Amino acid sequence: MELLSAITEFAAREPKIYGLILGLVAAAILASVINVAAMLLVWLERKVMGDLQSRYGPNRVGGRWGVLQLGADAIKLFTKEDIIPRGADKSVYVWAPIVAVATTMLIAGALPFGAVIIDGEVIPLVVANMDISALYVEAVLSLMAIGAFMAGYASNNKYSMLGAFRGIARMIAYEVPMGVCVISVAVMAHSLNLVEIVNAQQGIWFALAQPLGFVIFAICLIVDLGRMPFDQTEAEEEIIAGYNTEYSGIRFGLLYFQEYIVMLLGSILLVLLFLGGWNGPVIPVITFISPMVWFFMKLLIVLVALIWIRVSLPRFRIDQVTDLGWKILLPLSLINFVWAVAVGLYFA
Amino acid sequence: MKTANDVLSALQSAFPGAIEEAKVAPERQLWATVKPERIVEVCKYLRDNHGFDHYSGAVGVDRIDEGLFEVTELLASHGAHKVVALLKVKTPRANPRVKSLTGLYWNANWYEREIWEMLGIDFEGHPELYPLLLPDELVGSWPWRKDFKGYPDVTTGERAIETVTPDGYTHYRIPPTQAEIEAGTVPAQRPKYPTFREREEMEIKESSEMILHLGPQHAVVPGPFLLDILVDGERVRKAFLDVGYIHKGIEKIMENRTYVQGIPITDRLCYMAALTNNEAYCGAVERLLGIEPPERAQYIRVITQELSRIQSHLLGTAEFLTLIASAVYSPFLYMIIDREDVLTCIESVTGARINHSFVRFGGVRNDLPDGFKDMTLDALKMVREKTEEYKELFLSDSIYKRRMDGVGVLSPSEARRLGVSGPPLRASDTPYDMRREDPYLLYKDLDFDVITRKEGDSKARVEVRLDEIIESCYIVEQCLDQIPSGPIMADNVPKKVKPEPGEAYYRVEDHRGEMGFFVVSDGTDKPVKVKARGPVYAYFQALPPLLEGVYIADVVAIAGSMDACTSEVDR
Repeated sequence: MELLSAITEFAAREPKIYGLILGLVAAAILASVINVAAMLLVWLERKVMGDLQSRYGPNRVGGRWGVLQLGADAIKLFTKEDIIPRGADKSVYVWAPIVAVATTMLIAGALPFGAVIIDGEVIPLVVANMDISALYVEAVLSLMAIGAFMAGYASNNKYSMLGAFRGIARMIAYEVPMGVCVISVAVMAHSLNLVEIVNAQQGIWFALAQPLGFVIFAICLIVDLGRMPFDQTEAEEEIIAGYNTEYSGIRFGLLYFQEYIVMLLGSILLVLLFLGGWNGPVIPVITFISPMVWFFMKLLIVLVALIWIRVSLPRFRIDQVTDLGWKILLPLSLINFVWAVAVGLYFA
Repeated sequence: MKTANDVLSALQSAFPGAIEEAKVAPERQLWATVKPERIVEVCKYLRDNHGFDHYSGAVGVDRIDEGLFEVTELLASHGAHKVVALLKVKTPRANPRVKSLTGLYWNANWYEREIWEMLGIDFEGHPELYPLLLPDELVGSWPWRKDFKGYPDVTTGERAIETVTPDGYTHYRIPPTQAEIEAGTVPAQRPKYPTFREREEMEIKESSEMILHLGPQHAVVPGPFLLDILVDGERVRKAFLDVGYIHKGIEKIMENRTYVQGIPITDRLCYMAALTNNEAYCGAVERLLGIEPPERAQYIRVITQELSRIQSHLLGTAEFLTLIASAVYSPFLYMIIDREDVLTCIESVTGARINHSFVRFGGVRNDLPDGFKDMTLDALKMVREKTEEYKELFLSDSIYKRRMDGVGVLSPSEARRLGVSGPPLRASDTPYDMRREDPYLLYKDLDFDVITRKEGDSKARVEVRLDEIIESCYIVEQCLDQIPSGPIMADNVPKKVKPEPGEAYYRVEDHRGEMGFFVVSDGTDKPVKVKARGPVYAYFQALPPLLEGVYIADVVAIAGSMDACTSEVDR
């Protein structure tokens, strides 16, 4: 109790420093939670892929289910030599993975990770509840391409360079329809705040209110995540490993891990924008975490769907990807926008 | 339809005096010795007037006792008739020169280059006579010659000379021996394969272009080979192919083994096609020995080879899928699982899953085991159902359509000109199949269709493979119904295999195309020369022209649709 009163006193005396410390603590907790969740996601992906392909997946480290496989992999990556190629642009090369992970983490700050019910009131779990959080998340998602481009450009490797170019070309083609979809959602929800958007879906999910927008957003999201069938930036059959060809050790680990973090965050975004977030009937006995249960159930379905898509679809060629983005998805997203405005006005 | 005798009489009347030692044996094979100075005219005459539009390969033989080199040109026809012309040209060992056929047949290029680097026969008029399989340093050793005693460092104990280039790369050069320098067998100026830097200087015209390595250790190539592609952004402007990274000298090894010891070596040409390689080699030696396997053995051979075709096509298609999808792509693994059942059937007969060494001169090693028929019929039923499913998958998926339709199109005339065979040729509307062209074993009595497609693109090649799986299932079922009882080895197989002096050429339809073995005997227990004419060699040669102007992503799609195997190219 003494500690608590000391803290309140300090907060009253130095509100700015207190806010800073509080923010740092929250960020540290958030980063750890996200990282652990992403690790579990890697494990989940390997297990689900194994099941889909009539094989076992990890089944040695950490018992029958291979839960500790990722720990073993992480230890391996930490102990590997950190190679910097002779002709590389050293500082850019070194900073690229950090920039990639940092930009990804920026998204996490604005995303609500579910909600809890206390005294019949739904309290969303969000670090920074901004008014424009949807716009912010969308903007930072497109920043991610910078990290990949830095990595590809600095490696002084032709495969990396090609991967980096592809990443940028793809990002430009898909950010526009994706942004239009986010705006369509905001128009219907009358807000750019993610919590408000979720609350607006208490009646009907936006996936049902604007199915076209949902499909376009989901496709654009897969492109942003760089997963099959849109993993041209690291198509191993063509350009070895794309932008991270030259990376080794923990720097490679960061770039690899960043993809899973962003997969997790992107799926959360999809759930929030289109699948009603944590909305769902209150479950009696566990009322407190009832929204949480709904939220994670939806999240899990999205994640498994992403894994399923990965193992079942072949890869597009890069020109076909940009064609799809500019010639099909962009016009369709505009149609969806018109629809959203019309429906939004009608019900307003 | 023309017979070999028709062609021979036409040749003799058109070129009186130029054709010597002509014979037709067995039917459909026309052997003749042609005066060296008239070989180009003769081939041009055959190509233009008698439809010999398929240059099947060339064989170089060192006749050290007679002081001669022989080069045998193998000519055939895509459908005009079923005659194979084997035209021999003799040239003195002291100054070996043969006129090049590259002006007539585009694909003579690699075959002649190989003979030049291995035997030292100069091909007059060849456009790019530089090493293909050997490294530059070893040119001038002429390893296929009978008086070759190993590379210089082996005989003299000298170490290779090590030099470091300004770029920091280490090069090794094996110095020629004193004896070689005195004998003058070391050419003063050895032609060299251009280095990467030279290539860059020669080819790069604009600042947006660069040369990209695919190989020798690329993530997906089916064995080491170097494919340099000159790209402008995502477009391939030009492609350069270099092979020879795993040159094993199989043909030379077989010259130093007895005939029987050669059988397991043929497995290693390409492990996917071990059984057909066995068949081609044993068939050629059987022709030399003048024996024929009993009927039951022929049935067993057909059954195992068709099962092997099924498993090879399954894996070939699966590998192609990983190339346009990814390594974690599910149907790839499903096909591997299906293939396991087929392999189990083969294993129950041959005792091995990959390197079988199963075929013997005049028969086979094992008889079919009990219960083989039921097991195989079950496996075939499953494979047939699954293949239909895969076909449906590939034909309906829109991403597949985008990736395969119209990618790497080989028009029928282009496919014939480039000399490819097997599924890629049949996908280009040319029903050219050794099982029908040059029927061996029982194939003339069996009922099956030669699968063709009109489009000639990557998709057509995959479709041909999948349809051939179903066709092979049908062949195996027929054989299992009809197979008679009886011995599995011929009675008159000699204990010690010493064929009469002579030559034999035997072609089979490998899973990938035309596989021929050319065996020369001099009456001893070791062959003078064994030449494996493989189908993938022809694919590889045809690859660079196909890749011009495509996207980088299509490079792997086209190369993969060929179902390549580097091991067989390098031999």
